[in-house]
Amino acid sequence: MSMLSRVADRLYWMARYLERAEDTARLTQAYTHLVMDIPGGSEPGWEILVSILDAEAAYAEHFRVHNELNVLKFLIADTDNPGGISTSVRNARENVRTTRDVLPGEVWEHVNELYLYTRENAEKSVGRRNRHEFLHQIVARCQMINGMMMSTLCRDHAYRFIKVGHMLERADMTTRVIDVGAGALLGVDRHHTAVDPLIWASLLQSLSAMGTYRRTIGPLVEAESVVEFVFQEPSLPRSVRFCLNGIRQELVPLHNHREALKVVDRTRRKLSRFKADTASREQLHRFIDGFQVELNTLSEIISQTWFSPPQE
Amino acid sequence: MNKSWKSYKNTGDFFDELIAPGGGPRVVARRLVNLLQELPGEEMAARRAAAELAIRDMGISFTIYTEGKNIDRAWPFDIIPRVIAAKDWAAVSRGLAQRSRALNRFIDDIYNKQKILADGILPADIVLDSGNYKPQCAGMSPRYGAWAHICGTDLVRDKDGKFYVLEDNLRVPSGVSYMLENREITKRVLPELFENYSIQPVDDYPSRLYKTLASLSPRDRRRPCIAVLTPGIFNSAYFEHSFLARGMGAELVEGPDLFVDDDECVYMLTVDGPERVDVIYRRIDDDFLDPEAFRKDSVLGIPGVMRAWKAGNVAIANAPGSGVADDKVVYAFVPDMIRYYLKEEPALASVKTYLCMKEKDREYVLANLDKLVVKPANESGGYGIMVGPHATRAKRAEFGRLIEKNPRNYIAQPTLSLSTAPTYIDDTVEPRHLDLRPFILHSKETWVTPGGLTRVALVKGSLVVNSSQGGGSKDTWIVEASK
Repeated sequence: MSMLSRVADRLYWMARYLERAEDTARLTQAYTHLVMDIPGGSEPGWEILVSILDAEAAYAEHFRVHNELNVLKFLIADTDNPGGISTSVRNARENVRTTRDVLPGEVWEHVNELYLYTRENAEKSVGRRNRHEFLHQIVARCQMINGMMMSTLCRDHAYRFIKVGHMLERADMTTRVIDVGAGALLGVDRHHTAVDPLIWASLLQSLSAMGTYRRTIGPLVEAESVVEFVFQEPSLPRSVRFCLNGIRQELVPLHNHREALKVVDRTRRKLSRFKADTASREQLHRFIDGFQVELNTLSEIISQTWFSPPQE
Repeated sequence: MNKSWKSYKNTGDFFDELIAPGGGPRVVARRLVNLLQELPGEEMAARRAAAELAIRDMGISFTIYTEGKNIDRAWPFDIIPRVIAAKDWAAVSRGLAQRSRALNRFIDDIYNKQKILADGILPADIVLDSGNYKPQCAGMSPRYGAWAHICGTDLVRDKDGKFYVLEDNLRVPSGVSYMLENREITKRVLPELFENYSIQPVDDYPSRLYKTLASLSPRDRRRPCIAVLTPGIFNSAYFEHSFLARGMGAELVEGPDLFVDDDECVYMLTVDGPERVDVIYRRIDDDFLDPEAFRKDSVLGIPGVMRAWKAGNVAIANAPGSGVADDKVVYAFVPDMIRYYLKEEPALASVKTYLCMKEKDREYVLANLDKLVVKPANESGGYGIMVGPHATRAKRAEFGRLIEKNPRNYIAQPTLSLSTAPTYIDDTVEPRHLDLRPFILHSKETWVTPGGLTRVALVKGSLVVNSSQGGGSKDTWIVEASK
């Protein structure tokens, strides 16, 4: 069965938006918990969440002050913020609406319900009172949709582009989360060495990786081992290596995969060579910057190769 | 009898589809009416609620465009089916097939020898000056001489119960998916009726459509590549486009998915590279089909597709230019066409039509605006129509001026008394007016759907059945009068 480039494009973006909504919810959830744990005065600011998402410019269009409510409104309810939960969910739904034919019937129903839920609840979940339940619902519903697709989709092109979209978005978000850890701690003059482990632990939590970390590495949460673990652990579904391997696996059966695979392999090599334990925070930050540039390149190549191929 | 039926009467002013003039059910509808009249009132409501739920679950919707917004609405459906006896239908069906053959001969003639014009059966300027005549199509002769492969013909039933053709939709007729879904819903909510009735099935339409389209393929392949071309999600019939694509296992494509290569073949862009398309079932108008040939600003179409079609490398259904026969002025001449091309008498009646371009007709129309229905020659969807007896004085005066300004653009017909059928409104059963749109498939052979889409004007006394203007629909049964 052939797959239209346009349909592949929409499936890929549906997956990216669903993953983005889930990851932003996870991150926001973990960060809210973290802030509650850290003694007043030394907690890192809310602007970090905005910088994780590279959304400073979009933020500045609507808000001036980086206080909790503004930032949360921006992340949860703002319908102009391309990285926000409301926008991601809406975009995911638009992409499913036009690809219903190739997806299991329930997917549309559940994505539509997720959309209706978000529309009804986003605005009133900005404050701490309802925030937890809202974010929990977003994560749970995204996971259900994902699980449904994984258990019913035929392993054909549709499945491949969905998986690539998920993995690429997830790798992107995971590195952003690490970058934040490093970023928050880069400001050495803030004297919060005591809260370092708290920050790293909450970041692990946002990746659903705390339990695995404890079992694999141990109960002590230290910056270097967290970075190493989240980057390299091949069995952790949210590790960068896992995502890159997953992308590679799905690209191999596609026609014209040479260019895309070249970037994936180059990125995997760079990742292997990066030594978290000896790298300075500054080096880590630069590595992540470079990594995200590679992900963008990969996304562009995927788009050129399969979504808008030259008409010859 | 439950109380929702108590006040139902056949007043004799209209033909009622289910109830005879005496008040009892017609023979073919007897079991249906008896069952519904014996259902307790709350059971009727429960069946309707079940139908509404089914419509929501199945995602049957249509889109209307108002106040700058697209709204996705649940499909309005009345649970009481309309019943037609198989022997009555057989005659209608023959008439529809005859009409489709004549119309296709006409289109083929107009784009080639134009014999019918040379023989003076109808005036050349009526056809050639019409916006529906596409000079770009001249000289083409598609396979089997078939142009309008899918036709939706609107029928109404006058006071005497006789069927009349109201118009032929030869461009991109829609509604067939609702015909199929209506049957699905009825099977769910009135299952007991299917035990006692022998109702002609409709659900093989997608496979019939597939066969019709596949027969047009320029390449001899076991499974030709068929693409359903939609303008996109914002089109009011997108649901149907997607439904038919799924039903045929065909690709649902938009203009930018297709391109014409140097070899003048049409390809679709897939992740495995370009794949050649054999047949395009297009659901966009001629004007938007090919910016090279028609409207240059169209972003819905495929540049060069007309070249590919003329080179015989792709089939397009309906063929571009088919609309030339879908014109309310040309309509008046269809009986003559049937006699001219087929040497047969028309088996289906047409409605007496006054052409405002003819001086005598125009005088009559202007003098009788209060009795006539005036229609623009060229609109669909029930827009721009004036129903004389229901219109205000100002509205009639306005149409009088429009006609004098542009007589070619208007026709008028006597007001028909559209038939009625019992319709469940709130908690009573009341008569509502309806029409019927059967679908005719035409390639090597001609095939007519058993029944079609019955549209019903849900507003009391209204004659406007279009879903964009408050219309609903009913399941339509063609039943064998057995036992």
